[in-house]
Amino acid sequence: MAKQTSAEHRTGTDEQFGTAEQTDQVGSGDGTVQASDGARPGQAGSAGWALAASTDASLNQRTKSTDHGRRGLIWAIVAATVVVAFIVGFVLVRGRGKSDAAPAGRPSSKVTVGLKLAPSNLDIRNQSGSALDQLLIGNVYEGLVARDADNHVVPSLAQSWDQNADGTLYTFHLNPGMTFSNGHKLDSEDVVWSIRELVSKQYHNADQLKNLQSIEAPDANTVELRLSAPYSSLLWVLTGRPGLVFDKGASYDMKTQAVGSGPYLLTSFVPNDSATLQANRKYWGERKAKTPTVVVRYLGDDNAAVNALKSKDVQVLAPITENLATPFRSDKDHYQVQAGDDTDKYVLAFNSKGPKTADLRVRQAIRHTIDHQELIASRGGSDKALGGPIPSLDPGYEDLTGLYKHDVAKARELMAQAGYSPANPLELRLTYANTYGTELGDQLRSQLKPIGIDLKVNVVEFSTWLQDVYQNHDYDLSLVDHNESHDFSQWTSPDYYYGYDNPKVRRLYDQAMASTKPKDTSRLLAQAARQVSQDAPADWLFNYRVTTAELKGVKGFPLNLNQTLMPLRDLTYCPGVGD
Amino acid sequence: MRFLFRRFLILVMTLLGLSLLIFVAVRILPGDLASVMAGLNAPPERVEALRSQLGLDRPLPDQYLTWMADLARGDFGRSLLTGRSVSVQVGDRAAVTFPLIGLGLLIAMVIGLPMGCLSLLASKPWVRSLVHVLAIVGGSMPALWGGLLLILLFSRGSGLLGIFPSQGFAQGGWSTPGKALWSLVLPALTLGLIIGASLMRYTRAALADMLGSGYMDMARACGMTRTHALLRVGLRLALPQLVSVLGLTFAEMITGAMVVENLFALPGLGSGLVSDLGNRDLIAVQSELFMLAAFFLLVGFLVDMIHRLADPRLKAAGEGGSGTSTRQVTA
Amino acid sequence: MTTVAIVARSMWSRAEGKFSILVLGLWVLVSLVSLVWTPQSLWATDGYQVWKAPSAQHWLGTDGTGADVLSWLMAGSHTNLLISLLAVLLAALLGLLLLTAMLASNQLLAAGTVVVVDALISLPTVLLALMLAVPLGPSIAVIVISCGIGYGLNLARIVRPQALLAAGSDYALSAKANGAGGWRIMLDHILPNVMPTMAVQLSLSAGTALLAESGLTYLGIGVPSGVPSWGHSLATSVKFIDVFPLTVLWPGLLVTMVVVALNVCGDLLRQAMDPVSNPELRKLAA
Repeated sequence: MAKQTSAEHRTGTDEQFGTAEQTDQVGSGDGTVQASDGARPGQAGSAGWALAASTDASLNQRTKSTDHGRRGLIWAIVAATVVVAFIVGFVLVRGRGKSDAAPAGRPSSKVTVGLKLAPSNLDIRNQSGSALDQLLIGNVYEGLVARDADNHVVPSLAQSWDQNADGTLYTFHLNPGMTFSNGHKLDSEDVVWSIRELVSKQYHNADQLKNLQSIEAPDANTVELRLSAPYSSLLWVLTGRPGLVFDKGASYDMKTQAVGSGPYLLTSFVPNDSATLQANRKYWGERKAKTPTVVVRYLGDDNAAVNALKSKDVQVLAPITENLATPFRSDKDHYQVQAGDDTDKYVLAFNSKGPKTADLRVRQAIRHTIDHQELIASRGGSDKALGGPIPSLDPGYEDLTGLYKHDVAKARELMAQAGYSPANPLELRLTYANTYGTELGDQLRSQLKPIGIDLKVNVVEFSTWLQDVYQNHDYDLSLVDHNESHDFSQWTSPDYYYGYDNPKVRRLYDQAMASTKPKDTSRLLAQAARQVSQDAPADWLFNYRVTTAELKGVKGFPLNLNQTLMPLRDLTYCPGVGD
Repeated sequence: MRFLFRRFLILVMTLLGLSLLIFVAVRILPGDLASVMAGLNAPPERVEALRSQLGLDRPLPDQYLTWMADLARGDFGRSLLTGRSVSVQVGDRAAVTFPLIGLGLLIAMVIGLPMGCLSLLASKPWVRSLVHVLAIVGGSMPALWGGLLLILLFSRGSGLLGIFPSQGFAQGGWSTPGKALWSLVLPALTLGLIIGASLMRYTRAALADMLGSGYMDMARACGMTRTHALLRVGLRLALPQLVSVLGLTFAEMITGAMVVENLFALPGLGSGLVSDLGNRDLIAVQSELFMLAAFFLLVGFLVDMIHRLADPRLKAAGEGGSGTSTRQVTA
Repeated sequence: MTTVAIVARSMWSRAEGKFSILVLGLWVLVSLVSLVWTPQSLWATDGYQVWKAPSAQHWLGTDGTGADVLSWLMAGSHTNLLISLLAVLLAALLGLLLLTAMLASNQLLAAGTVVVVDALISLPTVLLALMLAVPLGPSIAVIVISCGIGYGLNLARIVRPQALLAAGSDYALSAKANGAGGWRIMLDHILPNVMPTMAVQLSLSAGTALLAESGLTYLGIGVPSGVPSWGHSLATSVKFIDVFPLTVLWPGLLVTMVVVALNVCGDLLRQAMDPVSNPELRKLAA
């Protein structure tokens, strides 16, 4: 007893904040207290020595007087009880007030949608990233034409269009009586102004609008777009940012506000947190928004997202990490979980001009080695294998997974021809952005090891990837999710970071773009894609499919392509249907 | 007074040095905002255009001087990415972080002080040991892990007892104070438990120190019981020191706060800074780093000052030395 | 040598001392073993066996790539040991350097150092780490340097009063009168006096460095991917706590255990190294 008491006593001053808090709090806590001792040496010293004289006595007394300690214990218990009571009380009060859901069966006036990637600002003309397209296109801004869930072009602001025989003149017939949400009229003048601005200011994706010669407004409801040469992707391009129509007469800060003609108004936007959409009561069209308020919440953390769904803070979650979706899948009474098709291609690019990856045999060996099924299985199994640069929702898709079958023996042979073996491995660097998680790099590293490739994985910030890989082409292997649709042109520009250059592919692509028949376009693109895949400038790890989880009772949320295109006008939620 | 002046001078010089350091550090990092904004399929001309539009192509000394001049006027600049003023942005985030830290401190005190007394005064040795062990273990947990355990126990959704929300801040922010506070409970508890455990040990140490002091003997001589004397006299004497420790803990809790904000998806200073850094939002990052650094330096400065002013014994003391670990005696 | 033995024996004589020594010894042992052997290869991934519960083959289950969690934790222990040691070493060096400056006969240097340390000490380590991470990227160096600087400043501040006392002692003064240089006095007279406090402080710092590692790695500015560390194991399992809560348990438990051991070790060192409280040490001195 005496021993313990003295030990306790001695843990005195020096211990101070001694050990503790997380990371470094400790550190300075210690420092200051101690330093304050140091800064008042007189006091510390004299008190210290005075203490020494008196302590024996006090220690002895302490050992005798333990029974008085009971009061401290009581006080502590009282304090603890008060805290617990406070918390419990708070919980009960809160618990009672929690019934803001609408009665069963009737559609809720507010639906909250959980998304993952947040746009950092609203400037859709300058800021890249599909998160902006996802939030704004079809909801707040509308384009001349739009896209349906199968990635086909459908009418929007233009109710119909004609095309001349050689594919160089498009005439768009606009809907009559259209307005922006601020009440301004929307007519052909706004369309022409928007596209001219895009071209003259070179806004985002302006380069997609190829061969544009002129755009005119013969009358208020007609727009004529003339091309210098046929361009088969034109209509599809106009479904995206280049076709968006802005109010010529409005002035607002595009980074923090959005004023368009769509079925929803953007009433608030908190960067990295949420956006609130209110139904536009004066929407010009027939298909008005069905739910008065839709809140979009950005949940970057997968766990937070799943928790939000579990606690019904969000009614829709897209995407949900497939591995985390299992409990929701099995709980069919409360949730509906489905994967939708998408155009996300996880491209493992091999630097075609790199010193080590310029060797075709090395590139082919890697493609033969990677076990796509295993990668997909580890991610939960909803993604699709993809053997070439064109995904199933784009024109020119064909199943190319048979070109490079999983065949480690053959890969070893190719590596041996190139002069490498597990005993004498080839060292390659894989550089990719930290947004894709560390697992893929670790898996590739272990898959490539048996054929004699020593993969050094370098996970960096996206901005660093942009500089090192994308701009300076300083890489061996790179991994990125190319989520854009219709982006085959990447394989036709030798200056792109792939460093891939095949004149045959370029010729096929040019022919495909110049063709006026969609069927020919698809056929030519398919040929080009097959050629690219054969040349093995990259491996397509998989076609990422977005899994969406909803509470039972949610209807009208798009499943396909919802990370780039998420029209919410048909979204409704009737609580109680599943409860 | 001379001390105060000297201390202040150093403060200003440190800030200047830090500003230069931050400025340079932010510029060396690879990647730039223009290419982040332009995205994957942008032609190089577009990146160049954005870069000049954002003023990133101006000479560095020029950029530094502009920044300093703006700082001197109290203008922290405008985030290149979000287009919002950095001070507004920081204000919004601080409105999450500071209440979080404040609440955490409160919980820490509510737990730490009584338990600290208990660990010294409880009559049963096993109670003392138990409390002491709890304090050590609590203070040794990574905040991340502590937070995760709390989520597993109490979060709505995945917890055993679904009580508290575990993700995000209340939708309406502080316009709905109840909800806002509610969403801070688990994160603050995480911070509070860990800090509280340390505070517990600190309280115990400070009280144990007081036990042997002359003040206590005095109180005992006046007829108080040991416990009574300790709580009435000892605690009061130890309080200024405890408060100054808490003041500094406040500054230091930012580390825990950063992890906790990320874990609970709160839009606070820490998570904001990390995401700005990832986006290469230079103006925002440099001003935010600078503001935080300045804030903590100031807190340190003030705590120092208060300590000197509040403790008359300090004023009287001359420069000299004495051992702090020599205040010990044989049993 | 005998001093060390006495201190160790005195620590061993207490239950928490045994715990502390055992845990720390095991840590070092496992670190060394993991350099040459782990139950499974770190890179033995299996996409069909991800996030599996503990089994005979994988004692602590598997992670998101199907790799063995136990092996990663074992391998992580040497990274963490390295981080702790380097951070503590840097802190000790910096602390002593600052201490020397604080005790310098040049008044300006001494006073200046004191004030600068006072000012810088209020900067949180994480802020320092964030600044360092800007040019360095996520790396072990970020953790080591930021912790080293933070704890070094602390150390200097804490041992200064004792060092001042020692510098003012008759021994030091007479040595000085005999023409001994500043460094000589530092080594012969001051260092031995501040050694116990330093040892205690550094032991606590080693624990704090471990906590810093897990926090910074989680924030993405600590240990880079592909390098095994406890913080890495903790951070990667965080994502899936909902479905696979067990995976979160192990790394956190491990960090907590080791930090507790380091803290207890610090406390006990304080007592064991103090001649006033350790009668055996007194006997040695007599």
